[in-house]
Amino acid sequence: MAQETIVSNRAGPATAMEAAAGIRGVWWRRLLFMPTIGLLLLLAIVPLVFSLGVSLFNYSIGSKPIWVGLNNYINMFTDPQFWLATRVTVQFTIAAVFIEVVLGILFGFVMNQRFTGMGVIRLIVFLPMMLAPLVVGLFWRFMFDQTFGIVDYLLTWIGLPTIPWLIDPFWARVAVVVVDVWQWTPFVTLLVLAGLGTVPTDLLEAATLDRASNWMKFRQIYWPYLRFPLLLALLFRSIDTLKMFDVPFILTGGGPGNYTSTLSILGYRQQIMFFNVGMAAAISWVVVIIINIVTNILVKLITPTKVEKVHTGL
Amino acid sequence: MKILKRVLGVVLALFVAALFLFPLLWVVLASFKTKLELLAVPPVFIFQPTLQNYINAFNSDFPMQVRNSLIIAISSTVISIILGSLTAYGFSRYTIKNSDFLQFWILSLRMLPAIAVVVPFYLVFRKLKLLDTHIALILAYCLTNTSFAVWVLKGFFDEIPLELEEAAMLDGYSPPQVFLRVALPLARSGLATTAIFCLIQSLNEFLLAVSLTTRVAETAPVGLSKVQTLMGVDWGLLSAASVIFMLPIVIFTIIVRNDLVRGMSFGRMK
Repeated sequence: MAQETIVSNRAGPATAMEAAAGIRGVWWRRLLFMPTIGLLLLLAIVPLVFSLGVSLFNYSIGSKPIWVGLNNYINMFTDPQFWLATRVTVQFTIAAVFIEVVLGILFGFVMNQRFTGMGVIRLIVFLPMMLAPLVVGLFWRFMFDQTFGIVDYLLTWIGLPTIPWLIDPFWARVAVVVVDVWQWTPFVTLLVLAGLGTVPTDLLEAATLDRASNWMKFRQIYWPYLRFPLLLALLFRSIDTLKMFDVPFILTGGGPGNYTSTLSILGYRQQIMFFNVGMAAAISWVVVIIINIVTNILVKLITPTKVEKVHTGL
Repeated sequence: MKILKRVLGVVLALFVAALFLFPLLWVVLASFKTKLELLAVPPVFIFQPTLQNYINAFNSDFPMQVRNSLIIAISSTVISIILGSLTAYGFSRYTIKNSDFLQFWILSLRMLPAIAVVVPFYLVFRKLKLLDTHIALILAYCLTNTSFAVWVLKGFFDEIPLELEEAAMLDGYSPPQVFLRVALPLARSGLATTAIFCLIQSLNEFLLAVSLTTRVAETAPVGLSKVQTLMGVDWGLLSAASVIFMLPIVIFTIIVRNDLVRGMSFGRMK
């Protein structure tokens, strides 16, 4: 990995500070950690355990909960809607993350040039990822409109047929991916650009003198510095798309015919629209488990003692 | 040849920027159009701008929703920064048992899908009669914001030279005094950056907001999501409201532009 700087493990001075602390130091240390850990336990672990319990009941809001054991899970796994939502969620994740990584690398190299005004261009490119996904989905819905939408207008302008974006099961899914790609390719670009900033200039100069081919340059010089940022981007993006909710919710409402309903949308519907709390809890646990697997991979890759030092040159 | 390559590079960069800028410009344009112009086929690019949509937005529920969004985002950010800076400083300066495990546990909470806590939060807040209140969302957002703040702030504290703190200790400062009078002031810009990221994340959140509020405590994204009315969709008002809502986020982004990598990668890269 590129230029790792060890920032933790300051055992020497830290112990000196600790020695000076004494009994008041014990309370000080408790103050540092206890409130945060207490709050996080209260806000995360308690609700998760509670939700696991709820998933074992037939629990509709307003009526008495009835113990049903694993029935919610059995119903869920035999429900075609659940499998459709799982398939849709995985499709979105694979398609969106793949396109984002490919475009992110390309755009990263494009943004890596130096000329006047590049700072402004970078700022524009990085803007979409900071916006609310719901707002982004909202104005894309306006642009995807069948009659007055600008997207179809631009398609006909360059001589292509119009596309029934939000109405056709296939194109509605494409639309969701397009919106995610528009909003999050900048994130991959940002990390790629950061990685490119770490490539030593003398290495590049040597390659230019050697007249190395572009592919050779990419493989031999850039790749070692891009591996870590790309891995990070891949995992962060996968986790985010696996829990995708806002964009399909506002863009298509999960339709047509549930073909854009992700697992999060399915869970939300069971909970808020059908008041079927037990089932909603069961579905949410599936999302938790899938994301937990991906998060664990992420955690294995990034240790708290290592921080990558890079420049974006903004 | 070299010049040609250079020009091509600039053109490509401008093209990429245009891809990301165009949809944003299109909403800004839409917010100044009349109803007829909004639905015109083919779309109009040149027209007499009107402020009617902005006036309509100010006379709707939208200002109240923005107020809710701000109250919730600011409160949750303040709590998260206080708790986060204490714990981040702790992880940075003290060796505690299971430090790595605790840090990863905190990170994994940031990754927790909102849908997982929607069900229990809904039931508990309903029982406590806190549904549709600011408190419910403030607490809910503390979960993601605090874990985010711990990770990003730890990176900022790690960069403060220990010598300064040791000198303060020799001057007779107690550890809490060192934290308050030396470390915190030195981490000022890091605290500001982290706070801005927490604010943006809280302002943008939707799933918890739409599940835990119904009317009184509705946030701006929830208001914007209720696009279907009996009269159809008022795209003019929605565009104007979106522009108003995006404006502070654009300003925030400009402020933290040098720390974007850090914020977006949880301090794993800088």
